[in-house]
Amino acid sequence: MTKLSRRSLIKASAPVGAALLSGSLSDVAAQAETTAHTHTAQLQAGAPPAASTGSREANASYLFLNSEEAAFIEASVARLIPADEKWGGAIEAGVPNFIDKQLGGAWGAGERLYRGGPWQQGSATQGYQLPFTPAELFRTAIAAINGELKAATPFARMSTVDQDAYLHGLEAGGKDLGGVPSKEFFAALWEITLEGFFSDPVYGGNRDMLAWQMIGFPGAYASYYDLVDQHGMDFQHVPTSLAEDVHRHVHVHPEIPARLPE
Amino acid sequence: MIQVGVVALATLISVAVTATLVARPVVAQGVPRAADPKRGAVIAAQGTAAVPACAQCHAFSGASDSSGAFPRLTGQPASYLAEQMRDFASSRRDSAVMSPIAKGLSANDLDDVAAYFATTSGPFPLLAGADAIIVKKGEKIAREGDAAKGLQGCNNCHGPDGAGFPPRIPYLAGQYAEYIKLSLTMWKAGYRKNSPNVMKQIADRLDDQDIAAVAAFYQQIRNDTNAAQ
Amino acid sequence: MAERLKPVDVVTVGVGLTGAIMAKELAAAGLKVVGLERGPRRDTSPDFQSPTIHDELRFAVRKALMQDNVKETLTFRNSSDQTALPLRRWQGFLPGTGTGGAAVHWNGQTYRFQPVDFVYKTHIEKRYGKNFVDPEITIQDWGVTYDELERHYDRFEYLCGTSGKAGNINGKIQPGGNPFEGQRSREYPTPPMKETQYGALFRNGAEKLGYKAYPQPASTLSQPYTNPEGLTLQQCVFCGFCERFACEHYAKASPQTVILPAALKNPNYELRSNCQVLRVNLDSTGKKATGVTYVDGAGREFEQPAELVLITAFALNNVRLLLNSGIGKPYDPRSGIGTVGRNYAYQTVSSVTVFYDQDTRINPFMASGSSGTVIDEFSGDNFDHTKLGFIGGAYVGAIMTNGRPIEFHPTPPGTPTWGLEWKKAVARHYNHTVVLTVHGMSHPTRTNYLDLDPTYKDAWGMPLLRLTFDFPENDLRMSKYVTDKTVEIGQAMGGKTVVGAPRKGPYTSTIYQTTHNTGGAVMGSDPTTSAVNKYLQSWDVPNVFVVGASAFQHNGTYNPTDTVGALTYWAVEAIKSQYLKSPGPLVRT
Repeated sequence: MTKLSRRSLIKASAPVGAALLSGSLSDVAAQAETTAHTHTAQLQAGAPPAASTGSREANASYLFLNSEEAAFIEASVARLIPADEKWGGAIEAGVPNFIDKQLGGAWGAGERLYRGGPWQQGSATQGYQLPFTPAELFRTAIAAINGELKAATPFARMSTVDQDAYLHGLEAGGKDLGGVPSKEFFAALWEITLEGFFSDPVYGGNRDMLAWQMIGFPGAYASYYDLVDQHGMDFQHVPTSLAEDVHRHVHVHPEIPARLPE
Repeated sequence: MIQVGVVALATLISVAVTATLVARPVVAQGVPRAADPKRGAVIAAQGTAAVPACAQCHAFSGASDSSGAFPRLTGQPASYLAEQMRDFASSRRDSAVMSPIAKGLSANDLDDVAAYFATTSGPFPLLAGADAIIVKKGEKIAREGDAAKGLQGCNNCHGPDGAGFPPRIPYLAGQYAEYIKLSLTMWKAGYRKNSPNVMKQIADRLDDQDIAAVAAFYQQIRNDTNAAQ
Repeated sequence: MAERLKPVDVVTVGVGLTGAIMAKELAAAGLKVVGLERGPRRDTSPDFQSPTIHDELRFAVRKALMQDNVKETLTFRNSSDQTALPLRRWQGFLPGTGTGGAAVHWNGQTYRFQPVDFVYKTHIEKRYGKNFVDPEITIQDWGVTYDELERHYDRFEYLCGTSGKAGNINGKIQPGGNPFEGQRSREYPTPPMKETQYGALFRNGAEKLGYKAYPQPASTLSQPYTNPEGLTLQQCVFCGFCERFACEHYAKASPQTVILPAALKNPNYELRSNCQVLRVNLDSTGKKATGVTYVDGAGREFEQPAELVLITAFALNNVRLLLNSGIGKPYDPRSGIGTVGRNYAYQTVSSVTVFYDQDTRINPFMASGSSGTVIDEFSGDNFDHTKLGFIGGAYVGAIMTNGRPIEFHPTPPGTPTWGLEWKKAVARHYNHTVVLTVHGMSHPTRTNYLDLDPTYKDAWGMPLLRLTFDFPENDLRMSKYVTDKTVEIGQAMGGKTVVGAPRKGPYTSTIYQTTHNTGGAVMGSDPTTSAVNKYLQSWDVPNVFVVGASAFQHNGTYNPTDTVGALTYWAVEAIKSQYLKSPGPLVRT
């Protein structure tokens, strides 16, 4: 059961265009400030912030994913990590935004990937051997999926039962998605969803650190010498992002290189 | 070095164990008394038969004054405040003013007062006459440390620009510069002894200008004009 | 056309742990030393400060501190009948780069090898007979003994400030330490780290079964320490961002914190970063190195003449450089002839997961790279293998290093791999799960080896190293045996569910299993089966020393770094006391 939100209303009403998703800047600023101050007040009261219901969805304008790709990504990550009565899931955490910014940035373009040929499929023990960069992999595979489902029901319009069955099918492998083995694509989709859910909010996912709150991971600041021998202590701690300032605003910078400057 | 990644392992052999067969590990030593901030507020406001009111020097809100003699207590983690009070009581930390007060309070009093001040809030005033160059120098030490001195940045432990790392590491952001200077100087001189493996090591690496710089940086980083950003 | 630079006395290829230690020693001895590091110059302040460094995605998942595969990687296959393919992304092991190398992002686990490791073939044949070991396994004695290395182990541990409890001082067993360890001359430089919750749970379970638990020796320090070089390390804060990350607190022993500043103080030493060494140059006899050729960050090629060339570039790169330079005879697995590339080994690791209920909070994020509680009853040859059908063993312990969620989100067997039930299981088990490590030996075989790839090249046009490796059956049998023993400990720890996962073949490069790549330029007393002599001097080119885990005849039970450090001090002492006085082969055959 998906939480009712601006996003789901937009989705239900019309084909989604990138412009509809962006919202107005003043909206965003007002919401951002509200969220930050709420966070601060709760911090001072000693309680963790409530799970986000996606109050800042409006600022997720897609730079890489086109509307059909975005529709598939949103619908699939919503099944991979769904919301439940207690905690938001991938949508609430902003995972589609994370995926968009990763694929549209240096990582998607092939940072840290050895791209020399010749290319051949090896054994499973030899790892990834396709020439596709992550951006190319997703683009190619999703186009094949959307193409295949065009005649029937697009993925985003399937029932959740059918969506799960389709994803299990991809996971099991055996399908060729424009040159991308479906098992390979599913693994990449799952991995990037996991990253978008659990990474630092600086990258645009894990919004309001909801995933960290769910498991009790305290985040980027970590100094435990005095606590580590209090075995089994109940460590109540509002998680911190590496990108938050002294007022607890998280400044999102989704394009961070996977290398140190030289 | 092995990385713990259970999900990635190829095959799992499951062996179920019934809890009754083996002893459960001890994880708690009994339920501790919950601190009472309301009772702490009364002590802070009025004192007790044995000690004067905290509010006399620290203000009821804990905001103290900027003279540096009395640190700002507002919103500091309860665990940190309680630990300092216990240190004053046991002379692990020495102060002509605080030691007799801490000794005059019971263990419950200490916990309650600490819990009270942890709940207080209030504005962070501007630091008058802060030199921008000195503040910038302090910012660098706070965020990056100092390579030549083998010094890590203060923020590593003290949180985002010094916002604190509860339950045991206090905030520096908005603490009075004079008090920060005093504390660092006391560690450096060896008079404050209750963090020998950390704060003494750090203070030894700071000269007077470094101390003045980090103090200036932290007092002003969270003032109300900054809060609007 | 390469520009020829002014000659120096010594050049080190790589400025990691081995390169920094040797440079410091030789510069102090009055020699002019140049250190060529292919990666960038990095220092604790500002490069390793948190919160920036505490970014799991960037450093642990994307591996920002490691060698960049865009420029250089290696190729891999399980056996010679396959085509080796490039490791297009690092997964299975993570070679470092930059000043400090892998000792920046290691965990600090600092174990000595056992005395029998250095005379392994002799020991095994004596105890079990000449026909006990599988014929494919090619163990040999190392040509050096533990007793010869003991004071160098000591020196390295005192350089790092290693935190631990001695188990055997000059033959006298010490309570609280490892009763099985080889004797050491004195206590560790700093006391053991605090024991974590999971360490205590493991100790409880292990001691119930009669095992002797002891604290893992840690080069993430328990307290501030000033080393003999005058450098001070700080107390580790258990931040849980150790392996794959650099330490912000100066609390982890790495070249930057223990030796490099001392080396750099000496004007005899010059460090050049962003310099990729392509080959060691030899004279027309092929028996003398004249220096090295390298390309700098701007793409300019230089020739650096030197009297002494120290190859200190990490085990894998050491072997590659020898092969690309034509030093030594490349090993051919079919004939068994050749020395460079033989006896590659790795590490045989497995785990046991202990799930608790909600009452037991683990707080896995409060962790250090090397705090831990371990037992040694199943290490090496500490137990009788006569009826077991394998040799070798593993240490066992609770040595969890982090609770970082992208990598660590354990769920019990039967949990779906994604979806709502997966998510609920993650939330339920994250803070109530202990993972035990089984860290085992890796035996060399005739068919596991390193050579140059015939097809794939790096960005400079040089052939990549080719790795041919699979687990020998012996090691998989060992893994099963010790993992089963560890499951018993997990049960004694009071876990609700205990899941053992022994290592299974084939070896896959897609799952991380340590960066303990060893061998390929092994040390020994026989020049037909080793590439370097007991002082790590090349048999073929006496003014080349090859220093690192490439020298290991096999990989022992334990993490390699302490032994690498000891061999480095051993080799540089031989250079200072013997080679410099009389350059030439130090071992006559």
